[in-house]
Amino acid sequence: MELNLDAFERFAVHFDKGNIIFCEYEPGDAFYLIQDGRVQISKIMGDIEKTIDILHPGEIFGEMAILEEAPRSANAICLDPVKALEFNRANFEVLMRGNPQIALKLLKLFTKRIYDQRRRFMILTLEDNHAKVADVFLMLDESQAGSKPEGSERVFYTTPGDIGHWAGISPEVSRDVLNQFQTQRRLEIYTDRIVVKNINEFARFVNSRRKKRDES
Amino acid sequence: MPKAMTYKANSVIYFQGDVSDRIFILKGGRVSLNSNDIETGEQVRDFIQTGEFFGVKSALGKYPREENAVALADSHVVVFSVPEFEQLALSNSRIVMKMLNVFSNQLRRLHTKVRGLLAEGEQADPELGLFRIGEYYMKKKEYEKALYAFQKYLTYYPSGAYHQLANKHAQQAEQYVSQYGVGRGPGLRGAESGASASSETGRESAGGRGTGSAKTGELDPVAKQYYTAVSSFSQGNYTGAMKQFKAIVDTSEDREYVVKSMFEIGRCLFNLGHYDSCIRHYTALVQRYPKMPDLDDALYYLGQSYEHSGDTNRAGGFYKKILSRPGVSEALKRKVNNALRNLEGA
Repeated sequence: MELNLDAFERFAVHFDKGNIIFCEYEPGDAFYLIQDGRVQISKIMGDIEKTIDILHPGEIFGEMAILEEAPRSANAICLDPVKALEFNRANFEVLMRGNPQIALKLLKLFTKRIYDQRRRFMILTLEDNHAKVADVFLMLDESQAGSKPEGSERVFYTTPGDIGHWAGISPEVSRDVLNQFQTQRRLEIYTDRIVVKNINEFARFVNSRRKKRDES
Repeated sequence: MPKAMTYKANSVIYFQGDVSDRIFILKGGRVSLNSNDIETGEQVRDFIQTGEFFGVKSALGKYPREENAVALADSHVVVFSVPEFEQLALSNSRIVMKMLNVFSNQLRRLHTKVRGLLAEGEQADPELGLFRIGEYYMKKKEYEKALYAFQKYLTYYPSGAYHQLANKHAQQAEQYVSQYGVGRGPGLRGAESGASASSETGRESAGGRGTGSAKTGELDPVAKQYYTAVSSFSQGNYTGAMKQFKAIVDTSEDREYVVKSMFEIGRCLFNLGHYDSCIRHYTALVQRYPKMPDLDDALYYLGQSYEHSGDTNRAGGFYKKILSRPGVSEALKRKVNNALRNLEGA
């Protein structure tokens, strides 16, 4: 599906390599469709800047801004000189109506976001922290679907801090829970990765907690 | 080709957990989507209207179905594959717009719920968050990024809790960008020592700046400093003048001269063609000192800066605001009226 965006030239914005397009916590009112160059999506967590994603031409970012005026949830930084189309709430509807390709792209992005948010919500509604942490691993495992390895052992290149972020608990609490899991030999923690010994066992554990809630 | 199909009453069109790329539109009959509410676990039934699509999200997003789709009566549907659906959508943007509306509402509701659950934990105060981003980049010697974050901070929180520090860091970052480039030069530590160095001269460290202060000597009264700066300005040396005014703002405790100097810094920015910075500067100033003596002139420069930036609406707004204020000097009124006539002529 080739996009013909010549008519959108006047919405084009240019950034130099290294420029910040927006940073976390900044109020946002625009979203972008990359035409040239790569954009790094990152978040500063404590003393490190974590890359969440690297986006290429044809991809959309900052789209939450058209839904609500919440602060940006991450930084968008140019890895190359970047040309992008800038949309905002005022021009959005007209532009989308005239250009169903972009609207469709956005629609697909929303389906993905809805899924991610639903999944996150389900994690957060679990009652105890152990179930939350286990469910984060299940979520990470689901997102690796398609390339699922044989057996029930899974390797995740993640940290206790990240797990805590997804589970909505502090890095300290997350580390505590993970250490207990480690003591029970249900997982192993390394500096760059966490190995879950039996992902199916985590699935059963989480399901039983969820069922208990639904029945109560 | 999209296919017409019929499902008998009580048959299942798809199951929760199925992965499929099929999208349905109901042509006649009665279909219900059954699922468990993710919040309460309760059974939820969603009845599909004739003419309505279902199965769209999971098919487009390539994830498992989230509900059971059940025909409650004999039902006629048309089945699309994802590429067929896309074809249809591209020729009929109303369909996509309608779905975008529905999906964005769902997404917004989900976001609100997720945020609610995170309320006690990780939700950071955006004001502090933005400031900390600036600090982070300052420490990492990424001055341009630090400058961006601090400038944004000052734009959105001109009189916020950290505005003095943000201002100080922004200036430092700006200086380092030109002095050292990216990745070199002192980090935040340098900035802090800058502040403490100036506090040794007997001032509050907040708002202090170690570098760039005019070496006028301790005995020189602030007035002399001020008029030296004014003289630079009148000679067209706006960069030099700005430095001198900034030095007064940073080192003097004489409020009158500080406010005057801050006003002049705005004029320097304007004359240097930094209209965005000028707007930010005066916006912050006007909010901080709503009763300052040069307020009308500040509003005029705000209008001019917006006009130069092409935002004639805002420019006009400021001009009209000036005219509505009591006690505006005749000279300024003339300038403002001229500017307004210009805008209308444009």
